[in-house]
Amino acid sequence: MTSFKINNQNEKNEILPQFTLDLDEANITAVHSDMELQAELINTLMHESGISVFDMKEGLYERLTVEDNIAFYHKWFECKIPIAEVLVLFDLQACVKKVLKKCTRSEQRRVYFAKYYMTNTHPKVFVEPIHGVDIKTTNTFLTLLEQFKKYNIPTLILVSNMEHALLLGNVAYKLNEKGLHEIEVESSDSEPIDEGQAFTPSTVKLFKIPAKVDDKVILFDPLEIDYIESQDGKSMIVINDTSYAMDATLAETEKTLEIYGFFRCHRSYIVNLQKVREIITWSKNTYSLRIDNRVQSTIPLSRTKIQDIQEMFNLK
Amino acid sequence: MNTQRISAIFEKDLKDFMKNMMLLMMPIIPIVLAVVYSRLGEGEELPLVVIYIVVGVIFSAVTTSIMMTMMAEENEKKTLRGLMLSPASFLDIIIGKSLVTGLMTLITLVISFSIIGFGPILNIYTIIGLFLLFLFFLFLGIGIGLFSKSIASTSAYMMPVMFLFGFTPMIEFLGLPEGSFGLKLADNFPLMQVMKVSDTGSWLPLGVVTIWVIGAALFTLICFKKTKTDD
Repeated sequence: MTSFKINNQNEKNEILPQFTLDLDEANITAVHSDMELQAELINTLMHESGISVFDMKEGLYERLTVEDNIAFYHKWFECKIPIAEVLVLFDLQACVKKVLKKCTRSEQRRVYFAKYYMTNTHPKVFVEPIHGVDIKTTNTFLTLLEQFKKYNIPTLILVSNMEHALLLGNVAYKLNEKGLHEIEVESSDSEPIDEGQAFTPSTVKLFKIPAKVDDKVILFDPLEIDYIESQDGKSMIVINDTSYAMDATLAETEKTLEIYGFFRCHRSYIVNLQKVREIITWSKNTYSLRIDNRVQSTIPLSRTKIQDIQEMFNLK
Repeated sequence: MNTQRISAIFEKDLKDFMKNMMLLMMPIIPIVLAVVYSRLGEGEELPLVVIYIVVGVIFSAVTTSIMMTMMAEENEKKTLRGLMLSPASFLDIIIGKSLVTGLMTLITLVISFSIIGFGPILNIYTIIGLFLLFLFFLFLGIGIGLFSKSIASTSAYMMPVMFLFGFTPMIEFLGLPEGSFGLKLADNFPLMQVMKVSDTGSWLPLGVVTIWVIGAALFTLICFKKTKTDD
């Protein structure tokens, strides 16, 4: 199976910018954008490129059991893999005899994954695949992506959540009005973070972090902050689901906030370690941090940083 | 045409049928009607008109209704999205569903006639006639099922089909004057023609029913073309 190219050169489209996207068969491509652009992109993919998009908006057979649903799609798509294997792959063996209507949202989502897995179209395009599901289902999806990679099936994932884009994709892009920009996913080959340099904050006079909202400058107590993320080169302070722009870059902020228990857990994230509730280990050796805030946000944790964080929490 | 897909749809719809109360009730109506009429007749052979009212109810309430409800439900819940990779697979879906409908119609026919007696239909003309009637009602069901977007709307479409084609023999009870236009028109309706076949054993009425079947097939085709261009 060859790589797939999505080329949007439609000048008439006012919302969607022009771009070219190569779907590489060896990589999982994730595109992060807001809902409006996403809807427009899906529209373009479906109607102009004729690609089937997996958005889980179509119905399944609710009166039938999970097994009957899987058996039907299995036969319909002439799938070669045994049904039992599909059920195990998607962790559905516990609810095979359950009527689909009575299954939880996450279980239903796994049935959708199984259906899309058996569908013999390519490339595979997923829309918000792990939005609002449990950890088990997210892990199932990651296994599914591994399968696609193994069989060289080009895969595209559209999300409106940056954390999901970084977790799912090997290659992540950000789509906005100006075009398509690549986001670096792994920080292993990133800028030298001068940890070696003995950086001692000269003064501890700085107790507040300034951020701009319109014309006002708001001063945050470092302990209120959940985490800081980088968006288009700018640092954003995130508290619950609102973010505030700050002037400093992520590297500068990292230095000033180190003594308050902040930690650079990813190339584009600094987390307040006091607020970390959970370290989630996904199946393919990837990690996330769950923050103890109202929206329970999860942020990515680089593979290279897991050592440091384990040391910090004396987990070793 | 792909037999594996047809059997996939057939198995799925048969399982679904068994769990769907709305569809399961449909074959009950003509069977109850058959029981009531056979009790009324007190052991005597029932008049042909009554037998054909039961036949009409079987075809309209079972064949047409099941077919269009199944198709409307797929439309309403958008369950077919992603399954139709080519127009050929749409044909597979219709054939698979028609087989389920055919099976249910056959079961209902056998049960109903074992109650009112097989006597009047056991000849080749009537059997051909009943088969043509099945096709006619099936095509109507497919056609309506293609454009109905929800299950609720099928009950509205159901009514004219039932009264026009299912209850045609009842026109006698309306007390229309002999030779009036209404009677003449109703006389040419498919159910009346098949009744005539049982009565006289001639071939001509079968020709008329065949024309009705062709008409219904054209109706289905037009509905199909129309829904394809809508998408």
